[in-house]
Amino acid sequence: MLGRGMLKGLWVTLQHTISSFTSGPRRFPKRYLDGPVPRPEPSTQGMLTLQYPFEKYEMWPRFRGVLVHLRDPETGQSRCTACMACVRACPHGVLTVTGEGKGRERRAKTYTYELGRCIFCRLCVESCRFDAIEMGQEYEFVSTTQDQTLNLEEMLALGDRSGIKHTGEAWGQVE
Amino acid sequence: MGFLDALPLTVMDWLRGLLGQGLPAWGVELVVGLIKVVLILVVAILPVIVLTWLERKVLARGQDRFGPNLAGPYGLVVAFADAIKILTKEDIIPQAADRQVFRFAPALVLIPTLLVFTVVPMGRGMIAADLNVGILFAVAIGSLAVIAIIAATWSSGNKYSLLSMFRSVAQLVSYELPMAFSVLTVVLVSGGLSTVRIVEAQVIPFALVMPIAAVTYFLASLAEANRSPFDLLLGESEIVAGHNLEYSGMRFAMFYIGEYAHIFVIGALTTTLFLGGYQGPILPGYMWFLIKTMAVVYVVLWIRCTWPRMRIDQLLDFSWKLLVPLNLANLMLVALVFKLAGTGLLGSLLSLVVNVGLLVAVGTFLVRRARSSTSRRTRALVLGEV
Ligand code: SF4
Ligand code: SF4
Repeated sequence: MLGRGMLKGLWVTLQHTISSFTSGPRRFPKRYLDGPVPRPEPSTQGMLTLQYPFEKYEMWPRFRGVLVHLRDPETGQSRCTACMACVRACPHGVLTVTGEGKGRERRAKTYTYELGRCIFCRLCVESCRFDAIEMGQEYEFVSTTQDQTLNLEEMLALGDRSGIKHTGEAWGQVE
Repeated sequence: MGFLDALPLTVMDWLRGLLGQGLPAWGVELVVGLIKVVLILVVAILPVIVLTWLERKVLARGQDRFGPNLAGPYGLVVAFADAIKILTKEDIIPQAADRQVFRFAPALVLIPTLLVFTVVPMGRGMIAADLNVGILFAVAIGSLAVIAIIAATWSSGNKYSLLSMFRSVAQLVSYELPMAFSVLTVVLVSGGLSTVRIVEAQVIPFALVMPIAAVTYFLASLAEANRSPFDLLLGESEIVAGHNLEYSGMRFAMFYIGEYAHIFVIGALTTTLFLGGYQGPILPGYMWFLIKTMAVVYVVLWIRCTWPRMRIDQLLDFSWKLLVPLNLANLMLVALVFKLAGTGLLGSLLSLVVNVGLLVAVGTFLVRRARSSTSRRTRALVLGEV
């Protein structure tokens, strides 16, 4: 009957009103989750709204965030040899690399990454044969100008934060 | 009457005494009258600030969302953020508008709502004017709100607004009747039109004595206030928010405030008529009044969060084919019961039994008719078949 359906509807919304306070990740009086958390399973109980600037979900492993340098645990430096393969591969001329030293001793002196122009295509990572760079997990790098850059030190720090050890880990390309 | 219960009255008397030392008698009455006016304004406007927040919160929670939660703790000052936003908007008057009426209509929206508060007893002895035709006044003034809507829609010179007006008038005409019948039932039992008398007559709240009248009154006042599920004249999807379509800035805000004040009026009048007004144990009278009113207001918002908008034919059917006959029958039966059994406990109990019996009978009748009916529409409406 029409009336029964309407009463049932009221019951459903009442239940949701109550369960939004009592169940789910944001139980009363907790307003925010702390730190980036794993994505919850889909559920009909409680509130699942992500209050973005205050709450974040962890990104998935193959997420293409800002380009980072990976630290070589032996030297504590980047494994980059300034071979320029990434510079050539990049379709947007985002990367600028200068090197120093000869042969096996050759290391990158500067590495400049122009955030505003990167299209996150990962061609640079795929062209690198030295396990030096990877796409990280960070994505909050909005800039109002095209020439905001990251240098080698900043990219190494971001690499430490992302917890990636080797290029292509998440793609199953590491033995 | 306890100390807390009488506190507002004591303060008022003390004030009278204080003023009496320096002013003639008419001066005292004038000042006291003005204070009452200000109090009523506060009582009518303060809930608006709370209700704009509450409505969003209740709606959001019912739909597993947060609602406003950034402006102040738990989003409490969102009404002020709204006010600032609305005040900075441009005030636009359409070229086709009837300028004078267009300007005047928003001011008219609030007046009926404010006037109703004069006859609502908010606590023991706390009533601005105890008219002996109090409830009649409330019903009459309440339906005046539609004048403002007619003025606003007609003067905007907009076809959607005009459609909204047609709907609103049809709605008002059909819901005034069941509302009057349900109020009549209350008047019959309490033996007076004065709101204070009606409250005093409710040893058992009338909602428990005659649930049919209570529910009808509640639904009819929803229709009168253009609340969901009877908010046809606001139909955003078909007539682009209807009557306030051409309004912007502060003038729009007046409609907004009027709408929320009207919700509070629904709560206050339903409390007065059917929930025993300010009566209740332990807590002072005005607290009980506030609690009951807010409970009714919550139900209004809860319905908004649940029910879809009715179609115009469903709306008229519901009023003329169900509410009006049901309440007519209810009125006669309740009159009979109270004549035979008196207005005491026995009468109340019998009245409840009669009410429930009537509902069951009507329900069974409707379902039977629908079962034997070949009309797809009737079957869908009553039996819920698709
Ligand atoms: S991701 Fe693509 S655009 Fe960005 S630096 Fe690498 S190659 Fe260039
Ligand atoms: S990051 Fe890799 S590809 Fe780019 S210069 Fe360094 S070693 Fe060569």
